[in-house]
Amino acid sequence: MDYGIYQDKLTRIVSDIARSHSLWVLAYGTGCGAIEVPATMTSRYDAERLGVRGAATPRQADVLMITGYLTVKTLKRVIRVYEQMQDPKYVIGFGSCAINGGMYWDSYNTIKQLDLYLPVDVYISGCMPRPEAVLEGFAKLQEQIKAGEAIGATKYKENLDYYRGNQKKIIKNWNFPDYNW
Amino acid sequence: METFLGKIKDRISVNFDLEKSSIDIEKKRVDVQIRKEQIPSILRYIKENMNFRHLMHASVVDWLEEGKFEVIFMLWAPKEKIRVFVRTKLDRENPVMENLDMIWPQLNTYEREFKEMYGIEFTGLVAPEEFILEDWDGPPPMRRDFDTEAYAKDVFSERIGREDAQDVRETIAKRSGEVIPDFAKKHSR
Repeated sequence: MDYGIYQDKLTRIVSDIARSHSLWVLAYGTGCGAIEVPATMTSRYDAERLGVRGAATPRQADVLMITGYLTVKTLKRVIRVYEQMQDPKYVIGFGSCAINGGMYWDSYNTIKQLDLYLPVDVYISGCMPRPEAVLEGFAKLQEQIKAGEAIGATKYKENLDYYRGNQKKIIKNWNFPDYNW
Repeated sequence: METFLGKIKDRISVNFDLEKSSIDIEKKRVDVQIRKEQIPSILRYIKENMNFRHLMHASVVDWLEEGKFEVIFMLWAPKEKIRVFVRTKLDRENPVMENLDMIWPQLNTYEREFKEMYGIEFTGLVAPEEFILEDWDGPPPMRRDFDTEAYAKDVFSERIGREDAQDVRETIAKRSGEVIPDFAKKHSR
């Protein structure tokens, strides 16, 4: 009897559980929400007990937090950062600006729908979300990872044309290298 | 203080042909308005001969109805602790001014900002093309006739669900039975 398929499944389940308790968050703040992240990480709320820690570079990180408003100029860098990150990787949209533009709903330079440009796994509402809400968001992300539902990165690769199309619509001077996976 | 501010105003108006001038005793401030050709000489004179060595800020006001841009230089004398505001009005259709960064080097940064945000040209300005906006090809965004909402709707798609956004103040007032007086309604948003 061939046990390969069961082994694969078992490996995936175990590795998903392990991954969900080792989330390295890239230390990258796009908007004002970045100020809530130190409060979440430090002793009072202590995100590290959930396995959430800071990572210095994109290649070492698992989670990209879009903390607050995202301008077109920053979006260009964020895409570059996101594509440098290695699998498994997850995106958290943080605050009302990331969800629908928030108070910058009529701004000429702030994007209104983050999920057109990057695959978002979890949105955290609030302006700003308190550390409790941030932890709640991380707990949600962990649940999704354990259930094998946090597959934003896979979707991004599969539907790269869709995301690239949206990105190129607003980034005028497109000077990215062409990737192939 | 009044006579001191008056003396400063008089000293400037003796040397330069001012369009307008006033003093504000409470804010310790002398306001002068002058033609744009005189700006380099008046700034240099006030800086070097009258000890207003510090450029606090430079700013632009868009007077859309008049068809003018008003450029304001705010100077500060550290010893006397008083301010001089030097204003000048530029034609909105063709806003051109002389480069001033040889007087205060930090004016270079302000001029780049004015150029990008209001489209004011400075003759002789040596600076990179872009300042804050990247790959921007629309009109200068801080001009009052630039419709930022229409631009945002055109370029970015809006997430569904914001169409029925309610006036926060009115909704809360209705819920709690509060009566907003007529004069406050306009400013309550």
